[in-house]
Amino acid sequence: MSVVLHGSLIALLALGWWHFRQTAPAPSLPINATVVDARTLKGLGTASRPSPQPKAPPRAQPQQPPPAPVEGPPPPTPDEIAMREQAAKEEAEHEALAEKAEQAREAQRKAAQAAAAEQAAQAQKAEEAQAAAEASKLAAAKKAAAKLAAKKKLAQERKLAEEKKLAAQQAAAERAARVADLQQSLREDEQASVASGALASWQSEITSRIQNAWIRPPTAQPGIKCVLNVGLVPGGSVTSVSIGDCNGDDAVRQSIQTAVYNAAPLPPPPDGIPFPRQLIITFQPTH
Amino acid sequence: MNPTLRMASLLRIFVVVLTAACLTPPAARAQLQIQITSGVNNPVPIAIVPFAEAPTDGTDVAAVVQHDLVGSGRFSELPRDKMPATPTSAADVRFADWKAAGSDYVVVGQVVPVAGGQLAVDFNLLNDLTGQSIARQRFVGSTSALRNAAHRVSDVIYQAITGIRGAFATRIAYIAVVGEGADERFQLVVADADGYNQHLILESRFPLMSPAWSPDGQWLSYVSFENHLSAVYVQRVLTGERTRVSMRAGINGAPAWSPDGKKLALTLSGSSGHPEIYVLDLATQHLTRITDSPSINTEANWSPDGRSIYFTSDRAGEPQIYRCAATPGSNPERITFTDEYNAGPHVSPDGKLLAMVTRDDSGSYRIAVQNLVTGDFRVLTPGRLDQSPSFAPNGATIMYAARPGRAEAGILATISVDGLTGLSLKPTQGEVRDPAWGPFIQ
Repeated sequence: MSVVLHGSLIALLALGWWHFRQTAPAPSLPINATVVDARTLKGLGTASRPSPQPKAPPRAQPQQPPPAPVEGPPPPTPDEIAMREQAAKEEAEHEALAEKAEQAREAQRKAAQAAAAEQAAQAQKAEEAQAAAEASKLAAAKKAAAKLAAKKKLAQERKLAEEKKLAAQQAAAERAARVADLQQSLREDEQASVASGALASWQSEITSRIQNAWIRPPTAQPGIKCVLNVGLVPGGSVTSVSIGDCNGDDAVRQSIQTAVYNAAPLPPPPDGIPFPRQLIITFQPTH
Repeated sequence: MNPTLRMASLLRIFVVVLTAACLTPPAARAQLQIQITSGVNNPVPIAIVPFAEAPTDGTDVAAVVQHDLVGSGRFSELPRDKMPATPTSAADVRFADWKAAGSDYVVVGQVVPVAGGQLAVDFNLLNDLTGQSIARQRFVGSTSALRNAAHRVSDVIYQAITGIRGAFATRIAYIAVVGEGADERFQLVVADADGYNQHLILESRFPLMSPAWSPDGQWLSYVSFENHLSAVYVQRVLTGERTRVSMRAGINGAPAWSPDGKKLALTLSGSSGHPEIYVLDLATQHLTRITDSPSINTEANWSPDGRSIYFTSDRAGEPQIYRCAATPGSNPERITFTDEYNAGPHVSPDGKLLAMVTRDDSGSYRIAVQNLVTGDFRVLTPGRLDQSPSFAPNGATIMYAARPGRAEAGILATISVDGLTGLSLKPTQGEVRDPAWGPFIQ
């Protein structure tokens, strides 16, 4: 996308530039062409150009319907009629005889058919009886199977329910345990934060008291670091101030000792925290 | 409880134990760590108890010390009527009383006669809170030098508490104009830094200008218009012997000693008419031209390392301060950009600050300092017509000439470099101008 945008932007810029170039003092445009003799163009022109008078396409001719075809055979002659009558008589006699034989055969066949039908009916009856017996047998079996399956299913369901119940009980127990645990940790955190909050605010109170009491000499610049070991008694009075590591001059040393004495008595610590007997104060100006 | 939970709770217990271990050192919360990263800029409360009197010229040593310290802006005094007692030695000081009175430090002392008709000033600087003596010293001198002894006491106290060398026992030079009309006289005066103890160095019917101290404090250079022609002189302060070092055609002005005391930077116009900065070698009289531009170039002032010269130039139209090498051919670099008019550069002894006269939008001329490291620009004085800033040798204070009202005579005043504490010097007769703060006295 950005490529396209950039591309189009570049193109636009290029166009703009080009346009500018073009519209600016109108430099003579170079014509990119080759001068060619007009005569050589003549032949080329006729060959390549389409014919000035093109042939009209052939007109479509209307089609004539084809002649209707002749149908049916020619009419019969008298001889042919007589011969046909004789043949018809003979054929009728023949047909009567055949019909008689056919009737006999039909009766025979009917009798056989009836016998077969009876046989079949009997067989079917037997078959049906057997099928009915089998069906009842199967139904009984089926019934028994269904009964068994239902029993099984029930047992399984009972088992599942039992398991579910157990799981739920376990989960509830775990949840309860977790909640108790969380509550416990929250209580602990709260107690800790109350304690540390009180501690922190006490510390910051001491810090601000000393900072407000510290008249910084001009030589107490960043890079100066002095550690004071301050002895305290309950009630917050300063009993001793000794200078530990200190790269400050005498003025810095004086100023920090004076600050600590001027900040005393220090505020009492929060409940449950004994008054510290010792205070380690690091003076380290940051600006 | 699942294993992750158990793990977490174990971790928490571990963290709690660890935190407790950090908060509770072996001695069961018997120790507390405090970090102090800032303080206050208040003046230090100090009580200067009147010194035990000796027959003197009436100089109140304690009052001089108190004036010095409070005038620096770094101290506040406990007034005498609030003092719980008037001890004159450390043994008599009951610290709890002085602490209760609100002072952090107390100074006690005596002025005692010593052999040879001289006086000794003993003092003891005590910390009321620790009960310790921080500094004690004796200064011996003639009766007339009692003020100077007091300034020396101030110097010791100032350094003990601020960490900066005191510059109270130093001298200033300035020009005073006394009398009117035909009686008008120009005086070159040297005085103590607090304006007292004035000594007339030179008096003339013709204008005197631009006194400048040699780095060793033995010589003064100045401009005199004797016989209506400007010339630059060098004069030994103690004996008054003097040498004319430049009386060339045109302007001879604005002398400034190089830090090694061997050269003088001068403003000379020569025959061309436009002033340029030159450097004159005092031993060889060899003159080197430093600037070269068809504009005004004047008021040279050396950087403490002697390598650069700051000067005023109007090459950009209005006067601004530029810096160039103290050798010829360097391209001056413009230093000031804050106001339309900045002139009269004076570099602090540590080379970090540049004091100058700046003209604000209301047309008032005021003393400003520019930090040469950070570029920070600060106007220090109330103004109207403040001129000729000059740093104390400890860099803590700037002296300048002021004319508070149109009809009023010029006075001398000081301002602390933080701009917080200003002070007018002892009123003098006539008009005073062109202060120059001398070096430390060895």
